[in-house]
Amino acid sequence: MASAKRQISSFEQFKAILRKDIVMELRTKEMLTSMGLYAVLVLIIYYVALSQAGQGFDVSRIAGGLLLLAIVFTSMLGLNRSLVHEQDQGCLEALLLSPVDRPVIFFGKAVGNLIFLILVQIFVVPLFYFIFLSGSGAQSGPWWMLALALLVGSIGIAGIGTFLATMSVNTTGKDFILAIMFIPLIFPLLLVIVAALTAVITADPGYVQTYWTMLGIALGYDAIMIAVAFALYEFILGA
Amino acid sequence: MTPSQSTESIPTDVLALDVHDLSRTFGVRKALDKVSFELAQHQFLSIFGPNGAGKTTLLRVLATLTPPSAGSDVKVLGYDVVKDAFALREHIGLISHNPLLYPDLTADENLQFFAQLYGIPSSKERIDELLDAVELTHRKLDIVRTFSRGMTQRLSLARTLLSSPELIFLDEPYSGLDPHASDILDSLIEGIRDKHTFVMVSHDLEHGLEMCSHALILARGKVVLFEERASLDTEAFRSTYRDTVGLGVS
Repeated sequence: MASAKRQISSFEQFKAILRKDIVMELRTKEMLTSMGLYAVLVLIIYYVALSQAGQGFDVSRIAGGLLLLAIVFTSMLGLNRSLVHEQDQGCLEALLLSPVDRPVIFFGKAVGNLIFLILVQIFVVPLFYFIFLSGSGAQSGPWWMLALALLVGSIGIAGIGTFLATMSVNTTGKDFILAIMFIPLIFPLLLVIVAALTAVITADPGYVQTYWTMLGIALGYDAIMIAVAFALYEFILGA
Repeated sequence: MTPSQSTESIPTDVLALDVHDLSRTFGVRKALDKVSFELAQHQFLSIFGPNGAGKTTLLRVLATLTPPSAGSDVKVLGYDVVKDAFALREHIGLISHNPLLYPDLTADENLQFFAQLYGIPSSKERIDELLDAVELTHRKLDIVRTFSRGMTQRLSLARTLLSSPELIFLDEPYSGLDPHASDILDSLIEGIRDKHTFVMVSHDLEHGLEMCSHALILARGKVVLFEERASLDTEAFRSTYRDTVGLGVS
């Protein structure tokens, strides 16, 4: 009974959702501006907190954790806003009313969130390095290993975060609800990504093996959590 | 108004709405309680009832946005609203008091986006045709946030008609419109009503009765009255409506 003339393609729908989010963000710059400013504020707080640590304190030992925490806090701001946009003027209903598989909506939103998170990191990570690591004398590993660990962490953050932001979008106190569900769920991911980042930043002997082991666990965790989100997305949208 | 774009249409003998024992509970509250009625295609059903009567829940179930409770048998255009929801969505549209449009996209970008979701062929021509029909061609490249309420509702109508739905749900579409904007929306709907089935939720008794071919009153989630407009005693209908408003929420 479906239309003979229409060519509904999930990939085209995915591209349409992604393109729409990017066009809207480039026009309003709401998410990028607020996430970028928030990340800078977190770095300032780090700077103040570490200002009395003394000369002997090796910041490179905790730099991986600090960097990932800044990204996690920043991402929570953006994740909530990405779904709030959809709620504005009932747009989420229009999206749900159209013949789009719910997982296509999930991937469209999650990839959009991932792109915005990466854009913020392109600005924040060099700034973090300049403020905290450039004068520390730490012998870091290659930059691409740092970037790859951040990418794997960001994929998990965007995937799990998009799923939870959708769950919480119709609740009162959505910021609070997202936070209390998000942190416990990404806790294992945070642990292994911090370990991978610390391995690269400190470049201790044998760091390459530690790095790849941690990254493998992180990739496995990403895959499992995104598969769960994919499977449950229709349910949480219909509930 | 422009004619609908040709799609493989639903056979005319299939009921637009075939609702039997539709129930929906939220926790312990029954929003809909064994609602049953039938409506043929190309009819205009107006649904009335007090606040909390279950009107919006009924519309959301029919539009596949809210699943009914177990035991309900609900078919829209021959499709089961649960099992065939994906296929049904190609054939239905919704105009709400919310415009369902992205305020930070232009009119053209909004329509392009929905055209891609529905896989509309020759979408550029179709969009131009619809913008012309709702008299918004001159605002095609303007951001929707800058539109008046009336213009936004006209664009909302264009968005809905883009996919040429056989059945259009109207959820208090006149809410917040000034009389002039209401008249424009009226004439736009009047121009296409022969080609589509309409189901409208309204609080405006006079207007709703004026437009409909069938009227339904809901109260406490139950159908109090369902009748063809032609055989309806308007005074008796008004009296029944006044009585149901007193019943309050379900």
